Amino acid sequence: MPLPRRKTLALIAASALLFLIALASRRHWKQTPTPHADPATFIGKPAPDFALKDLNGRTLRLSDLRGKAVLLNFWATWCGPCMLETPWLSALRDKYARQGFEVVGISTEGEDLTPNDSAGHARQLAAVRKFVALTHPSYPILLDGDSICRLYGDQEALPTSFYLNKEGVIVAVQMGLHPESEIEADIRKALAQQPAHGAVQQ
Amino acid sequence: MAVAATCAWAQFINDGLTQPKPRNGEAVEYLYPEQVTVAAGKPSQVSLHFRIAQGLHINSHTPHDEFLIPTVFSIPAGKGVKLTHIDYPKGIDITLPANPQEKLSVYTNDFILDAQIVAEPGNHLVEAKLCFQACDQRECMPPKTIPVAIDIIGK
Repeated sequence: MPLPRRKTLALIAASALLFLIALASRRHWKQTPTPHADPATFIGKPAPDFALKDLNGRTLRLSDLRGKAVLLNFWATWCGPCMLETPWLSALRDKYARQGFEVVGISTEGEDLTPNDSAGHARQLAAVRKFVALTHPSYPILLDGDSICRLYGDQEALPTSFYLNKEGVIVAVQMGLHPESEIEADIRKALAQQPAHGAVQQ
Repeated sequence: MAVAATCAWAQFINDGLTQPKPRNGEAVEYLYPEQVTVAAGKPSQVSLHFRIAQGLHINSHTPHDEFLIPTVFSIPAGKGVKLTHIDYPKGIDITLPANPQEKLSVYTNDFILDAQIVAEPGNHLVEAKLCFQACDQRECMPPKTIPVAIDIIGK
């Protein structure tokens, strides 16, 4: 027996509403990965977009770099291994820049400062400036990485690097200090745009 | 020389993989004492024992590099117990395989802080703090502050 027209319409409307709720939930889930998420879960997925200021106060948005392979390097001034790899990243950035490669250093001091803690932010800024003056990275350094850490799994240790292909998809993740040759291999992987062959290195 | 460097790297990476990685907050553990009795109003020496998780080191109180975060012990004011002086142990100088040129002044395994305190008469449940920053041979964890709970009785 056919349903009355009013009932059919109500059924369609309810289905559409459920679909929209499911879609919204999925979008929300994609934007807020679980804290301390396994970096392997990021492989093959689009890198979450963000906007942070650099040392000169200019805002850099990750999506502005679409079309380039990108190495997102989470680091901190108090992290010895981070300081050690900075000159390697500078050299590799210069070596592959013409092929469409960029490194973005994201200062992640891990102090969870509140927005109102001006003294804390000033102290962090001074430390980052001093670090940059000492290491001369050839790539942009962004501040307040703590505010976006959660998007990238809330790293428990530094340095942590995410390698993005030119489509903005994460193709590899490295946690901790790795030999320069391994960093270069993952840069090549990102440039070759092989998201299906991504890997996490610990 | 290249072979030696490669071997050092291989060892370095292997060490990193075999070391247990503690969950956040477990890099340093306060061992004892849980309770001490001291003469009220007089400076008293208390030795505080800590343990660092295997495979990790924390910066000493006087790291060689200005960027590194020193280990610092503190007692909040107004709890009936005043920290008048503290002797930090001398750090051990180590180098990491990835950077043999740079010496790090660190604590590893167990270490003791000798604190001089003055307690008012009475029973004081003090929650002191230890701030530190831990690393292994390949990576570093964010700076951490752990509570150090001590029941201090001033008699």
